[in-house]
Amino acid sequence: MAVTVTPATFTLVYFDAAAIAAVAAGVAERLGVTADLVIEVDEASPLPRVWTTPGDPIAIRVESGAFEDTRRPRHQSDEAVARSVGRALLRLLDRFTGFAAAPDDADLTLAQAAAWDTYVIGRLHRRGWPQHEQRWRYNFRNRHGFTDAADAAFDRLWAADNLTWDQLVTISDQALAARAA
Amino acid sequence: MRKFFPVEELARDERFHTITMRDRMADPRASRNLNADQSRRSSNRLSPDRKDASDAARSMMHGIFVGEIQALEGAGRTCWDFTTGGEAPFALKLDMARQAWDEARHVEISVKLADWMGTEIGQFAENTVLFEAACSHDPVLRLAGVNRALEGLAIDVFTTMKEFGDLAGDPYLEFCEDWMLADEVTHVKMGSDWLRRLTEGDAERRAAALEFQSVVDKLFSYGGTRSDSDESIIGLARRFRHLAGFTDDEIDEIADVSRQALEEAKERKRRLQERAAAGAAG
Repeated sequence: MAVTVTPATFTLVYFDAAAIAAVAAGVAERLGVTADLVIEVDEASPLPRVWTTPGDPIAIRVESGAFEDTRRPRHQSDEAVARSVGRALLRLLDRFTGFAAAPDDADLTLAQAAAWDTYVIGRLHRRGWPQHEQRWRYNFRNRHGFTDAADAAFDRLWAADNLTWDQLVTISDQALAARAA
Repeated sequence: MRKFFPVEELARDERFHTITMRDRMADPRASRNLNADQSRRSSNRLSPDRKDASDAARSMMHGIFVGEIQALEGAGRTCWDFTTGGEAPFALKLDMARQAWDEARHVEISVKLADWMGTEIGQFAENTVLFEAACSHDPVLRLAGVNRALEGLAIDVFTTMKEFGDLAGDPYLEFCEDWMLADEVTHVKMGSDWLRRLTEGDAERRAAALEFQSVVDKLFSYGGTRSDSDESIIGLARRFRHLAGFTDDEIDEIADVSRQALEEAKERKRRLQERAAAGAAG
């Protein structure tokens, strides 16, 4: 499995292509990804967006904010690289295992995206990349309401391992229904 | 204890990483993505319907937290840096002491809100521009820069965050921002009142103070972050600024300065895009 990062040399941010490739390779290997990765970094954008295209190689396009250390603007954070790549790869893997019915990323509702993020980040956390649970709980609450039902739904998603898309949507919808009640 | 403390020596532990306004302006990416989502959204204002709403709110809340620390340091310095009576009346120092008490409470509230939102202390870089505005050697300029420009910005930020909490249904965020907003209105009012009292009969000093305030206002509007336009993340809170003692003309002037900053940011973006397109074609 090979990882290619472009550009090879960064001029607007203090990123290291080889270091990004090494972190991404480690994440992919531990998640069981065998396809090659091509990671294209848009260093002109400070936003943290990530797009993934399946195939071999898997194409991951990121804006520099996705790999940035928020403490030190323009500097790379290996933790952020692992989180962004891991999140992208797990979502991609999900689409082949129970999430075939999931809409394209661009068509997800904010609540669905937050629910899926919770499910993905919870698994990353348990697989050895510690995440700040409260950050993701806050994101989930913003999309599903600041209610006990939303917290219970978050806990189920965070701890889950083998959900289908329908199960995830049901949990999300139940939390939304409690918010509306 | 020495007077006029330099910004470079502010006491911070290893959790904090400070940057200056110069660092921020040196980021070549900063103006390239103003309104990057505009094709899909009608407004750039911080609101829960943004895809990045949670992280953007966390980042802004951390900015408020470090701003409160610096406001505490600034108000405290004003109590100490000037001689009582000669340079600053005792009653002014009493107001600054009261403000320091408020700011300390705001720091504690901000820490708890950050925890609630899943943010660690120091998770975002600390821009020290707020304290820099509090380093003037003239107490009148300091009041203009800190109490009117900086605390005026705080009114805008707290109003935006309060609305965010309200729309998201976050009871803690809305409640805390509302209470802190009430204090900020008082702080601005103190600045407005003292500015007028201390410069009564001294038109030149008053003009210098208002000019300094205008410079600070523009700095805080850098990149079009705050303005009347929906293209800015933070809105201009006209009603609360009225309550704080700003006149219509003064608010219009800040709106002009902010709009100018927004237009400059858009112009910078346009030039960069043209340069990038020329580079790609060449």
